[in-house]
Amino acid sequence: MSGSAPDRSSPPPSAELRAVELPELEAFRLDNGLRVLVGEDHRLPEVSLRLIVEAGASADPAGHEGAAELTGRLLTEGAAGRGAQEVAAWLDRLGASFSVSAGYDVTILSLHLLSDVLDGGLDVLRAVAREPSFAEAEVDRVRQERLDEIDRDRDKPEVAADHTLIRAVFGDHRYGTPSAGLRESVEGLGREEVASFHGGRYGPPGAALVACGDVDPGVLLEAVEERFGSWEGGRGRAVPPQPAPPAGPGPRVLLVDRPDSAQAELRLGTVGAAYGDETFFALLVGNAILGGLFNSRINMNLREEKGWTYGARTSFHFRRVAGPFVGRTAVETAAAADALAEFVREMEGMVGHPPTNEEMTLARNSLVLSLPRQFETVSQVTRKITTQVVYGLPRAYWERYRERIEGVTRDDVVRAMGRFMEPEALRLVVVGRAAELEGRLAERFDRVEVVGPPGQRLA
Amino acid sequence: MQGQSVHFDFDERLLDNGLRVVLEQDRSTPVVAVHLMYHVGSKHERPGRTGFAHLFEHLLFQGSGHVPKGEHFRYIQNAGGTLNGSTWFDRTNYFEVVPSSELALALWLESDRMGFFDQGITREKLDNQRGVVKNERRQSYENRPYGLAFETLLGLAYPEGHPYRHPTIGYMEDLDAASLEDVHDFFRSYYAPNNAVLVMVGDLDPEDALAEADRWFGEFPARDVPDPPEVERIGGERGERRGTIEDAVQVPRVYMLYHAPSFNDPAFEASDVLTSLLAEGKSSSLHRELVYERRVAAEVEAFTWPLEDVGMFLVVATARPGVSAPELEEAVDDVLDDVRTSGVSEDEVEGARNRARRSLVGQVNSVGDRADAVAHAAVLRDDPGYVNRAFDRYLAVSREDVLDVADATLRPERRAVLHVVPREAS
Repeated sequence: MSGSAPDRSSPPPSAELRAVELPELEAFRLDNGLRVLVGEDHRLPEVSLRLIVEAGASADPAGHEGAAELTGRLLTEGAAGRGAQEVAAWLDRLGASFSVSAGYDVTILSLHLLSDVLDGGLDVLRAVAREPSFAEAEVDRVRQERLDEIDRDRDKPEVAADHTLIRAVFGDHRYGTPSAGLRESVEGLGREEVASFHGGRYGPPGAALVACGDVDPGVLLEAVEERFGSWEGGRGRAVPPQPAPPAGPGPRVLLVDRPDSAQAELRLGTVGAAYGDETFFALLVGNAILGGLFNSRINMNLREEKGWTYGARTSFHFRRVAGPFVGRTAVETAAAADALAEFVREMEGMVGHPPTNEEMTLARNSLVLSLPRQFETVSQVTRKITTQVVYGLPRAYWERYRERIEGVTRDDVVRAMGRFMEPEALRLVVVGRAAELEGRLAERFDRVEVVGPPGQRLA
Repeated sequence: MQGQSVHFDFDERLLDNGLRVVLEQDRSTPVVAVHLMYHVGSKHERPGRTGFAHLFEHLLFQGSGHVPKGEHFRYIQNAGGTLNGSTWFDRTNYFEVVPSSELALALWLESDRMGFFDQGITREKLDNQRGVVKNERRQSYENRPYGLAFETLLGLAYPEGHPYRHPTIGYMEDLDAASLEDVHDFFRSYYAPNNAVLVMVGDLDPEDALAEADRWFGEFPARDVPDPPEVERIGGERGERRGTIEDAVQVPRVYMLYHAPSFNDPAFEASDVLTSLLAEGKSSSLHRELVYERRVAAEVEAFTWPLEDVGMFLVVATARPGVSAPELEEAVDDVLDDVRTSGVSEDEVEGARNRARRSLVGQVNSVGDRADAVAHAAVLRDDPGYVNRAFDRYLAVSREDVLDVADATLRPERRAVLHVVPREAS
């Protein structure tokens, strides 16, 4: 075998790009309002299933932050007359992987299983979603497990950094407290709070069951009707919290002392944008350039040029109302103050040094040409459909995504990103050895305050 | 329950220079995975140069003869692709998943570093990535709770000089010692076509893709590769090894490493099913007993790692507040002894088998993951088709197989035990 000698001097030409075929979806609605969305894909004997309920952490009652999380964890701890260990054995025997995730907007029950046990999986889903027992002893046990976990999280510098940052940016707004709650609020959660959260928030209004994989849509619909047709309860879409105002004046740099640290964790943040913000697509492009890609400005600077970190990145947490925009990295202690200053400089640079043509092309291409591999597996497809359901995106959203991204101009990016790059609105957090860090930070930044984790003022 | 199986048509070829090529066509999505795995990892490192295979992996993203620094990532991301590399005890891999129109781009980049890496490397790039890797060590190990436990455990489990004794990330002083000459030596020694497997899976024509592979890689001559390190098999003769370290943590954790069947051992799948039965799912023996019933552990995990020359069967249990490491260890031992002596039920084995098969599907349902699984099977087992046989092999694991492997493995003299305890306030 031997072909012609290749020309190695430049990248070889591309072959013809095949169009992506997005999976066909069948959409149904049960009489009680539950939406059922099914994508058929028989390549492998697997099914990915998600039940999305309007039970996000934003619906946690004030003072009971963490109710959505604790409710989610308790669903499998006894249901439909079976005890906690019986439900566990039921799932484990099927070989199914089951998880519950309570984000700010919704709670998602996810099931991945082989298609030959789909019926059994739906039985479990029905039991845990509709008839969790919330037995007193199990609630007490799982709450204690959660409190232990909160205590163990104190060991993690990245958790201290994240929690300090959201508190600094959002204050008393719901987004200023972790979705899973803090010790004070979780301590107050008992059987009554959990059962009441479940009763008010779990139900067909606003809910959707999404299934992709080795299923027949008609057969699945019948199976779902049988198990969820008589489902009642829930109040539909939770009223989202009002958007948070930008953080008022306060210390710019919050320094959390962690004397044992081998490195310094850095965060920068401000109030970002909502999913569906009018500049949404420009923000996707802008963030890719600033800190979303490996070749982003911040990663190329702090990692590939300076060698100070394993990686640096930025992200918008798009939610039903504006979540945070966050920059994050972890650097060697000696470089922390310089790295933080570089981070701020790169953010300001999004306005002062508008994206080059090359940066615009890279960002747009990475977003649109990656679509095919984001729709490859059944689990990926259910995740994409989930996004559409939660944010009310039109059915042809992914078909139109390409033109929306390609329509973003350099001016759009500068304008959109400019709203968030104002240094005065930024809150900066450093977690590390305060004794070494405080002086250096004070040389670079006006206001530096040493605080205890997470966000408590030291006496 | 019927055992649903899966099957992929893999085509295995050998180029004249010894590069193994494995191909599989899957037209369902217009993407293709290119996966190049070299048979070199941390176990091949020489004394005083721990972490070198991984540092070297970083350098391979710093450009090569025809590709400037920073451009490798840029080309792939500009094409909408994803890419990465990883290093482990036995192997190092590099991979791209790109739109299928860009197969040649990925082959151009991978072949340029196999053939012309040494033309692009400089002292400056080495120093830059040395800084990055030292910060990776700080971030992922030194600054993470319990982050130094695993390397300490390896030091207990294996004797001085054993190739599996040191962690892939390496030690700081060895990273400092790495020289440009080491880089050139390592490249010449191990990055030969006859020491690698190239896997291409996805929207491709197998004959065309094979011709492309030959066009890009065929001109690099085969060369002598150093003999693999001699690896002493560790069994019960070494006796139980124990240690304790302090860390900035709230609660103790107990780590156990049992010398178990390697990936090549006929009992590997039974060993994997045993770990699942012990700790996967809330009804698994360790979870049920330690977390639910006795409430001495916050969490407990077990793994069987697919390694070439040794078997690592790991149990990691985190204490609840107020429970000491010795108490936790005793509770873990009660469960392991019980499994070994009183056995396990047919139901538990069936559940574990089902979980393993579901998890196997999850490991092959994307072209990138499938290429990874094929490359591992080819390099570590010399058998790319194992990916197809694995389903049936897991399905065939019986209760007796699990009891046999538990009886042979879960013995104190075959293990190292490490306690990580909260540091005393100074």
